[in-house]
Amino acid sequence: MKAPPVSISCQGLTLRFPVYGVDAKSLKKHLAKITVGGKLGRSHGSTEVTALSNLNMELKAGDRLGLVGHNGSGKTTLLRALSGAYEPDEGAIEVKGRIAPLLDLNLGIDPSATGYENIRLRGRIAGLSAKEVDARMDEIAAFTGLGPFLAMPVKTYSAGMQARLAFAAATSVEADVLLMDEWIAVGDAEFQQLAHKRLLKLVERAGILVLASHDLDLLRLYCNKVMRMEGGVASPVTDIRKLDELMAA
Amino acid sequence: METATHMLRTGRRGTLFEYQMALRDLRASVGRMDLAWSLAWHDVSSRYRGSILGPFWITLSMGLMVMGIGVVYANLFGIALQDFLPLVALGIVFFGTISGTITEGCDTFVQAAGMLSQTSLPMFTFVWRTMFRNVINLGHHLVIVIAVLIYYGFWRHANAPVAALGLVFLVLNAGWISMLAGLASARFRDIPQIVTSVMQFAIFVTPVFWPVERLGSHKWVLDFNPFYHMLQAVRAPLMGGQVAAHTYLFLAGMAVVGWAVTFSIFATIRRRIVHYL
Repeated sequence: MKAPPVSISCQGLTLRFPVYGVDAKSLKKHLAKITVGGKLGRSHGSTEVTALSNLNMELKAGDRLGLVGHNGSGKTTLLRALSGAYEPDEGAIEVKGRIAPLLDLNLGIDPSATGYENIRLRGRIAGLSAKEVDARMDEIAAFTGLGPFLAMPVKTYSAGMQARLAFAAATSVEADVLLMDEWIAVGDAEFQQLAHKRLLKLVERAGILVLASHDLDLLRLYCNKVMRMEGGVASPVTDIRKLDELMAA
Repeated sequence: METATHMLRTGRRGTLFEYQMALRDLRASVGRMDLAWSLAWHDVSSRYRGSILGPFWITLSMGLMVMGIGVVYANLFGIALQDFLPLVALGIVFFGTISGTITEGCDTFVQAAGMLSQTSLPMFTFVWRTMFRNVINLGHHLVIVIAVLIYYGFWRHANAPVAALGLVFLVLNAGWISMLAGLASARFRDIPQIVTSVMQFAIFVTPVFWPVERLGSHKWVLDFNPFYHMLQAVRAPLMGGQVAAHTYLFLAGMAVVGWAVTFSIFATIRRRIVHYL
């Protein structure tokens, strides 16, 4: 079976956040000078933060893009825009391929429901049909290593067990475009290794990876391209080998 | 299989484009109706997890309320219990669906904040979720309706198909009000309180606990009460009565205008909703 072409294309992508219910008038002058965060502006009575401005990028199958930048430089916003949650104010985003946003592992996790129910729910949210979830259930259950605990409510789990469940459920869907906010490392040492392997496999299968991280060594390890973001403005997509020059610039 | 195999998101390209995108959201949600069902079922089953009666707890409390109000008011009004209790029972059950759909509508988008801010799930999916949840609850409460209709012998005159038609009108209208409340609540956090107060007021001005005839010459005011028409379209046929033609006209008109207005508002603010949350 030939895979359809996978690609991401952003043209002149601009994203402004209206901030409601906050009177940032007095704060505005201060914040505008700080490098952390986007630019603040004011329109229609609500404060606006320009989270991304005029971002252009083209990614094709095989690209592993690392995003670097300060807190609030727009990395997560870009990931969310790529997931389809945020609509651009200007420009366009086009993504071809199945998208798997692994931004928040706890998405859709209901603490009062059992492990099995949560796996099912998470699978359904990710776009699997009930049958597909059932077909994968054994594999996912085995991966969590939680055994009989899967039949118990998630609120009885320890934080580590919860993380195992969330990770196993979230990574059970194969996708063409993988979006990650920080490399996911959960559980104890043994599970971390398992998780690491699984994630690598997922990345290998996916056509495109976009990974936001502050850990430069990590980016060097997993990415072949890098983009630096600052105050919502992105550098051109450059080769990972030029990371040092990019950071120095 | 995954949420989207091709996703295109662009900046504003005029009003017509915004409507097209809103329509695309609607279509995508229809394609994934089963997800809305799953979420609704999950809501119902998780709310009553660990309780023995499950969703039948509300049925039970509703049943008690029906008994209490039925017996007391029948005496106060001096009406025979066998005429009055079915009226109150059906009134409480179906008005419960109306007010449940609308008040829970306030949470539709707020509750889905997590999913809306990091997936491309259609927003309408969550509107259906709220509506389905209330339909599922109604399914449990039908026990009361059926029991009362059989016990008091109304089942002989009950016209179920006409009542079902009325129920469709009821759900259609409660649906747009629910979505409108959801959109407004996402932006303004005062709305849920207002909606709750309005629905509390509505239960008393709508003939839920009292027979229409009691209004005497003032009966005409009910024609301006949308909840009266919604209730009447379901309750009257079940009790062997007729539904006035103007009730259907009113409900159909309200559904068309209501959905058109709600959809327009949705199309206009769709891209902003996720930022409200």
